[in-house]
Amino acid sequence: MSGPIMDPRLAPPFPEAALPILQNTQLRNNVAHATDVIQAKRNRLVAEKKDWHELRTSASAIRAHVLANLAKYLEEFEANCTAAGGVVHWAKDASEARQIIIDILHEENATEVIKIKTMTSAEIQLNLALQATGITPIETDLAELILQLGEDEPSHIVVPALHVNRQQVREIFARQMDLPQLPDDPEALTAAARTYLRQKFLSVPTAISGANFLIAETGAVAIVESEGNGRMCLTLPRTLITLAGIEKVLPRFDDLEVMLQVLARSATGERLNPYNSLWSGVVPGDGPQRFHVVLLDNGRSEILGRKVERQTLQCIRCAACLNTCPVYRQTGGHAYGSPYAGPIGAILTPQLEHMRHAQSLPYASSLCGACYEVCPVKINIPEVLIDLRAKVVDQERLESKRLTDPMYLGMKAANFAFASASRFRMAQWFGKLGLRFFSDKDGWIRKLPSIGSRWTLSRDLPAMPDQTFRRWWAEREPERTREAKPEREARSKTEAR
Amino acid sequence: MTASSRHTILDRIRTATADDSNRYEDLPRSYIREGALQSQARLQLMTERLHEYGAEVMECTPADLATAIAHQLDLSGRHQFVVPERLPEEWLAKGFTWLVDQSLSNDQIEQCGGVMTAASAGVAESGTIVLHHGPTEGRRVISLLPDFHLCIIRASQIVETLPEYFARTPNPPRLATFISGPSATADIEMTRIKGVHGPRFLSAIIVRDDA
Repeated sequence: MSGPIMDPRLAPPFPEAALPILQNTQLRNNVAHATDVIQAKRNRLVAEKKDWHELRTSASAIRAHVLANLAKYLEEFEANCTAAGGVVHWAKDASEARQIIIDILHEENATEVIKIKTMTSAEIQLNLALQATGITPIETDLAELILQLGEDEPSHIVVPALHVNRQQVREIFARQMDLPQLPDDPEALTAAARTYLRQKFLSVPTAISGANFLIAETGAVAIVESEGNGRMCLTLPRTLITLAGIEKVLPRFDDLEVMLQVLARSATGERLNPYNSLWSGVVPGDGPQRFHVVLLDNGRSEILGRKVERQTLQCIRCAACLNTCPVYRQTGGHAYGSPYAGPIGAILTPQLEHMRHAQSLPYASSLCGACYEVCPVKINIPEVLIDLRAKVVDQERLESKRLTDPMYLGMKAANFAFASASRFRMAQWFGKLGLRFFSDKDGWIRKLPSIGSRWTLSRDLPAMPDQTFRRWWAEREPERTREAKPEREARSKTEAR
Repeated sequence: MTASSRHTILDRIRTATADDSNRYEDLPRSYIREGALQSQARLQLMTERLHEYGAEVMECTPADLATAIAHQLDLSGRHQFVVPERLPEEWLAKGFTWLVDQSLSNDQIEQCGGVMTAASAGVAESGTIVLHHGPTEGRRVISLLPDFHLCIIRASQIVETLPEYFARTPNPPRLATFISGPSATADIEMTRIKGVHGPRFLSAIIVRDDA
């Protein structure tokens, strides 16, 4: 099984990547089931929370405040983490972050490294780089383990293997763990993972984590999880490396009273998730005695400078927008060609790529606004999507080859035709004539050539009617004038009553 | 390499945020910060939430604590327990083997059937037990590797809402673990399975020091 392409530089455009997935009934059933279950739990727990809107308002304001004062809080975090015994590194981009991590691991003579689920490490494609230098990454989150052993890729920010069902997990585990008798109930599968990983936890001396939050005031890192694999990786190894986007910082310890509440309810529909861990630097005698934090920019400071787009960085990766999105719910995550799927991925991925790749993603949305409604930090995703679409169009307009671009020429032609009634009438006549070749007998057009195929890729088009509206109106006109008088009389009678 | 990157990144950020000013003190905070429940109702809520997670819960008076501990440990069907260094002597009930954690190895801890610790705080609304990993809660590893965790929490440590916990913790701890139910996963078809890596069995004794 070869996995889907999750590198935005290599992935096909969204509509192309989505097509085969839409034919995959099994995958769509798995995604529908999982998103339904999480949404139902989330909605129930949000409904019971009397101060949900106040919490959301605060969460949004705290995140916006952090971004407006990001340099100050990062420096404060760095100072406090360093004072507590941590080592803080700064990485401009993905390759620098990979190199820093690999250098640390080489210094540790590491051949293996245990990992807590981190989307940021997928963003910088860390696992491939580690393997290339002879270091084996071992994913310890159950979902990530399923994907790693199945040579698959994450399709969701919180439950990355939601597209895989129990029979598929059984097959992967039975093959990779050499357990031919393994049954397919989730309990047995979970137990198999527990046994498989326990020895790794106890023997591998280096670990890599992401970060849910960095606390400026204390230099602490917070990790939110359910399984306990996080606690294992944060506690047992000798050396721990935390990779965190620069936007992850919070001003104070107390701010967790807001963020932990909105995150748990939005992400998994829990009042609080089973385990939250917080640690500041190195604590003698307890946990890793060498601790590194790698702060990753990788396009984030550029997003920060754009007025409308800055809010993208408020995200706390709860994935509520994925679960509610009518597009994500049909395609799952792989169609987005990036570890960040769904509405947040559609705005984050192209920006992390400096708008040079993944330009189809801002269009992977119906702009229905469901994502904005559920977002615990109130990111106006539709607003950002529209702004990014404008940027994509601006880009295309700047390209010198536009005179051979059918879309550009088509728009120019439409502009010309719509500007005058007689030209418009003529265009309609030609259109009817031309489209007749593509119309099926039942009056629908299902496949157009060239630029038109962009429309018929995902929608059918009714054939042009024999009579245009303008013609119908013109023919109706004398009739209407005749009927107008009695009609008016009837109306005035009704009104009098 | 990273010294110059630090400079570059901070520079970029400063340029991007040059015109911003926005005071931390002015951030809106109109969410619920104080609970409304009386102490009996608060403890009842804590108990209900812990039950929802499948945890065992019992209440006792300070005088009956030793008996309650022996009872809960008996119920667990285990005999050997790790404890942090400075638990009160009278908590270590007779008839069980106690391993006091003075830098025990991970393997020694792993071999133990269970662990008993005190707690730093409790939050009723979410059924959360907070450990700050001081001398009575112990190192993080001892409440992680054994399969059974008995946690002793005083009624006066239990608040109703999460913001109340933060209000009561003016000096942030170096280490903290928030436990809201035993280790769990829903990664396979969203079916909730207890006990992936952390302790599979959580048991709590609430000591009524508030009476």
